[in-house]
Amino acid sequence: MSTVMIDSDQLGATEIDDSSIIEFHDGIIGFPEFRRFAMIAADEAGFYTWLQSVDEPSLSFLAVVPAPFFPEFAPTIRDEDCGPIGLVDPEDAQLLCLVTVADDAVTANLLGPIVLNVRTRLARQVVLTDADLTTRAPIVPG
Amino acid sequence: MVLILSRRTNQSIIINDNIVVTVLEMSGDQVRLGIKAPREVKVHREEVQREILEENLAAASGTDAPVDVSRLPTPPTA
Repeated sequence: MSTVMIDSDQLGATEIDDSSIIEFHDGIIGFPEFRRFAMIAADEAGFYTWLQSVDEPSLSFLAVVPAPFFPEFAPTIRDEDCGPIGLVDPEDAQLLCLVTVADDAVTANLLGPIVLNVRTRLARQVVLTDADLTTRAPIVPG
Repeated sequence: MVLILSRRTNQSIIINDNIVVTVLEMSGDQVRLGIKAPREVKVHREEVQREILEENLAAASGTDAPVDVSRLPTPPTA
């Protein structure tokens, strides 16, 4: 097990364990050149996760596990999105939605969620076609 | 490269030997297209892809002020 130190703009000096790294073969949309991200818990309860670029200290995203906030959100992941991350068993799939923190609202991108195969550690941002979904779904406190 | 072609209903274009785009129907300013492509080829409406790209840019944190994690909402308790 090896670790690497990153001086993250968001998180400060952070030790990253190899086992926390996930890989986007196609990158995150708009960021194709950054493929490896470390998953770092952002809150104690485990609802939020940082995705910190392993190769670019200034690049990080906040992501949320959608189920507790959006119980109705159950997207169908198409075969062409499952194939590249080796996803066969639905139990291996973990959904994450990127979070935008603005002054007045915290929102989650439900239209372009990230699907992670927890077994292969390969991830992909998928583009859903459901017209009801938005890139800025408000995360409402309970 | 930009190629401009005219097609009628039920006519197709073939891209790279394995992608077939067929004009299915035209009505007013709307065109219905059928797209036959290998699974690994990503086909999306341009505006959806752009919307996600713009939101990703907004979500990316970098040089702006660090996010205050204590401000994040917690879910309703069951």
